Amino acid sequence: MYLVADINVEICASKSCKLCTQYCPEANTILYSEEMGKDQGFKYGSAYVAVDRCKGCAQCVWVCDNMAKNNAIKMIMIDQLPKAALTDNVTYGEKSTTAVLASPVVG
Amino acid sequence: MSLDYVKFSNGFEKFMPKEYRDMVEHGPFGKKVSVSQMGSFKEVLEEHPMCAGCAMTLFIRLAMIAFPNPEDTITVGTAGCGRLAISQAAIPFVYGNYGDQNGVASGLSRGLRLRFGDKPKDVVVMAGDGGTADIGFQQVLHSWFRKERFTTIMLDNEVYGNTGGQESGMTNRGAVLKMAPLGKKFEKMDMVQMAKVAGCAYVATVVPNNPRRVESVIKKAVLIAREVGSTYIQAYTSCNIEYAIPTDKVMEDAKTVENDRYAFSEYVSDEAKQYLTERYGYKEFLSKPATPAAIPSKA
Ligand SMILES: Cc1ncc(C[n+]2csc(CCOP(=O)(O)OP(=O)(O)O)c2C)c(N)n1
Ligand code: SF4
Ligand code: SF4
Ligand code: SF4
Repeated sequence: MYLVADINVEICASKSCKLCTQYCPEANTILYSEEMGKDQGFKYGSAYVAVDRCKGCAQCVWVCDNMAKNNAIKMIMIDQLPKAALTDNVTYGEKSTTAVLASPVVG
Repeated sequence: MSLDYVKFSNGFEKFMPKEYRDMVEHGPFGKKVSVSQMGSFKEVLEEHPMCAGCAMTLFIRLAMIAFPNPEDTITVGTAGCGRLAISQAAIPFVYGNYGDQNGVASGLSRGLRLRFGDKPKDVVVMAGDGGTADIGFQQVLHSWFRKERFTTIMLDNEVYGNTGGQESGMTNRGAVLKMAPLGKKFEKMDMVQMAKVAGCAYVATVVPNNPRRVESVIKKAVLIAREVGSTYIQAYTSCNIEYAIPTDKVMEDAKTVENDRYAFSEYVSDEAKQYLTERYGYKEFLSKPATPAAIPSKA
């Protein structure tokens, strides 16, 4: 089993600085969704991870903890994720993306 | 080499993978995208086998977002880690033999000018420190002396990463590596100074822990190379494997190295300053208006 990054929507949407996506080494991996935060009553959207592309380096955790000072990202075993985004379920829009979260992610 | 090359052939759209369809419909081609929009558009870089957490990967990702016209760009690379990712993007990639990349790029950029005239087609070389400062040194320097109009980017991880840790000319003195167990005996080469002496019109050093700055230097370098002359970017892109940097500390390391030996620097020739100002509306090189002389008070 291996670790992937998981972003807590409620914590992220309160800040939604987009720093983690600018520092993730992998392309098309940390994406941004307006809906994910706004659905929960926040002014901004949230970042989320397309876990099939995540290599588990935890750089985003460092960035969110130390640069954004928001502690919204944790590393979680892929089979322990209740629901997560996969590239196949991501839809690109004009200024943001949406994702249908899959469950279970593996298995 | 135009917007047409990414479009679907009639009837084929439904057979294309999702990633390709996303790229055609929501990629950067024909639009202006920036670092601040990351996470909202489909990037041209796809999955690749570079190591988890590698700073070189991040730099390549940022570079591909910064290219002013990705649909009119060709990248040139060579042996080394970077080509593993650079080749996995929707931007044509030419693979030179180890060290040949600046010779290949010279011919390519001249050929493109013959074929397309004034329409800009950008050639960008990205190669490791070994490929640029050791094996490719002669071809790199000569392309600069000839003022070949393309951009050279050194992905400087201060080691031969792809082959397991030999020292390069860009390794720091004293560094102990798996295949340099006694520690390097000579100083790190000053390629920045050599680029200036060889007549490059733009020379910058940068680390990837400031994505907007990476974007800005790459844009300037590519634009200047269209008409003015050779441009050179030297980027610190650590190898977390050969230098045993924990992957979640890669950005902390970049900051330490930036403070130690990789401070941001930028040299822009007068001709290049004028070109960016007049052709592309850059304001940063305009001379500051002189402070108005104090109005003499009425007696
Ligand atoms: C002519 C030739 N000699 C040697 C090699 C083996 N080789 C492949 S990659 C590499 C080192 C790459 O080091 P560097 O250019 O610093 O790039 P990095 O892998 O560190 O990014 C070598 C020696 C080769 N491919 N071709
Ligand atoms: S760095 Fe943290 S707060 Fe900022 S977008 Fe990413 S998860 Fe949200
Ligand atoms: S763990 Fe690494 S690869 Fe995964 S999302 Fe975070 S920064 Fe990207
Ligand atoms: S060996 Fe080093 S430079 Fe090469 S991909 Fe791995 S971490 Fe990056």
